[in-house]
Amino acid sequence: MTTPRTSPSRDDSTTGGESQEVEPSADDDVDTGAALERETAFQVANRRPLSTLLGRPVVVGVLLLALFVLVVPIVTTFVSSFARTATGALPTGFVTLEHWRYVLGFGEYGVRANAIPGLTFSVGIATAGMLLNVLIGVPVAYALSRYEFYARDWVNTLAILPLVPGVILGIAFLRTYPERGGSALGLVVGYCLLKSPYMVLTVQSSFQSMDLRRLEESARSLGASWPRALLTVIFPHAKRGILAGCIITWTLAAAEFNFTYMVHTGDPEPFSLFLFRNISNAPYLQSAAAISIYFLIVVAAILVLQTIGNRGFTTVRE
Amino acid sequence: MSVRLSIGDSIRQALSSVHTVVFPTTERERERRRIAIMTIPFFALAIFAGFVPLATMLRMSLSEERLFNEGWSVDAWETLATDRTYWWIGFNTLWFAAAATLVSVAIGVAVAHALEKYSLPFERVIVAAVSFPIALPGIVVAFMVVVLLGRQGLLTQTVAFFSGQSTIDLATATTIGGLFLGYVYSLIPRATMILRGTYAEVNTDAEEAARSLGASPFETFRHVTLPEIRPGIVAAAILVFRSALAIFGTVLILQGGFVVVTLRIDRELAVGFNSQIAGAIGVVYVAFLIAFTFIGLRFVRAEQVAI
Repeated sequence: MTTPRTSPSRDDSTTGGESQEVEPSADDDVDTGAALERETAFQVANRRPLSTLLGRPVVVGVLLLALFVLVVPIVTTFVSSFARTATGALPTGFVTLEHWRYVLGFGEYGVRANAIPGLTFSVGIATAGMLLNVLIGVPVAYALSRYEFYARDWVNTLAILPLVPGVILGIAFLRTYPERGGSALGLVVGYCLLKSPYMVLTVQSSFQSMDLRRLEESARSLGASWPRALLTVIFPHAKRGILAGCIITWTLAAAEFNFTYMVHTGDPEPFSLFLFRNISNAPYLQSAAAISIYFLIVVAAILVLQTIGNRGFTTVRE
Repeated sequence: MSVRLSIGDSIRQALSSVHTVVFPTTERERERRRIAIMTIPFFALAIFAGFVPLATMLRMSLSEERLFNEGWSVDAWETLATDRTYWWIGFNTLWFAAAATLVSVAIGVAVAHALEKYSLPFERVIVAAVSFPIALPGIVVAFMVVVLLGRQGLLTQTVAFFSGQSTIDLATATTIGGLFLGYVYSLIPRATMILRGTYAEVNTDAEEAARSLGASPFETFRHVTLPEIRPGIVAAAILVFRSALAIFGTVLILQGGFVVVTLRIDRELAVGFNSQIAGAIGVVYVAFLIAFTFIGLRFVRAEQVAI
């Protein structure tokens, strides 16, 4: 007996599922008991539940609303940074690079207001924090993925959950190391600790796709010492994960605000404080240009992440 | 013979285990040494940059002097315990973070559901757009709220255009509503990230069976899908609530007459440099966060609430 392809019981399709127009192949596995199915089909057709009619539109509606809220301001900010004026409903007077020139400090605007020294300083600090993270994060990730040991769960929790929020760490830091708090060293160490979970997690997910024990043992049996096996065989195998961790920790450290705001004093001004100054008391379009600089950094980071096969800033395992 | 070791014995035992880690003789001991070598740099950093400062912060809350840790005084803790203002700030922080968590996780479920269950056009673009804000710091999120709800904001201007009211009256960026949007803006991407991972593991056979037995889409979601994604929802709630408590930059810029703990700490330091009170609030806050995390982790695996 053959079930018609347009069996009415499948009409309102799978739940959660793909809609019938998109995936008719879902019918194939319910051929048995078609008579029974046809019977219930009429009942179902008579009392169509509300969720059949509304479920999918509502869920898609929520998705669209969330997308609107998340994306529209980003696009608007970026686009308005090229506009001349923004007094009406929409920015007008395209295209000008004036605001970009202003925040980057080119032209006749004077040196104090510009972003270049801050950007350079932040690049240096974020890079140092990232390198320190490689030194401490990669070994911890390896120990957690390769060995079973006492208190492993505790170490794991400590390593992958940020210990304290940046504001609190900043205050504590300032009192503990008053003379070093605002220095580059203080910022490097603070950024490193605050962003280390991203490094540990990313590298860990890379290690978990490898047979670490076999790899380590074959390298050892071929005569490599343990440090040599790690440095020349295992870590190079995980280089994608390490690279991805580097990019994520670098980008997030470059814009870390809460900790910097609490700790930093003096010159040069880190990039996140430059952003803060622009957001809290600069003309709208100039703020837009300053923020757009950061958007460009993030987009660049995401593009690099995608070329090395990582999905973006997510550390969720595949 | 007593079963308990004397202090001398315990010390000797500890020393000998340190000795075997430093000078291992068996393979098991060598492995222990390796684990120690690999985890010690991390602990050194965590102690230097994390635990020592936190201990100093506790000492700071008990200090008599404002500028240095000198003398002992429990005044700050007394103020914290008796002054109703602080209780209200704590309560405000909790309910606001809880409400933002609830909304964000609910939206996260819908977004993850739509992405994993329906075949939508431009799915990769949508995924990228939803995860992009994870990289935005709180101050940038605040500006995003201003772009939507500020005086020149898109929504403000649209409503003003249709209703004829003045944009100054309509602007809501620096009210509690704007602040809530700012919270939700930073939290939705995190909730979605975790829930998409959970949805990817859901067994679709049970859903199809329920549907073919005549369950409505909602009934199927309620009785089949929801129990399967419940661990993901709990994990997302833990992570999102933790993040919501730590939000500072957004509040600092939007303010909105609403004081949460992080902002109050900043105010204590900015006005009058009440470092003892700031330290005491910080200690309570960290203690709460750690307790919450460990209680929360009893329900899910640690990896699920990562970041």
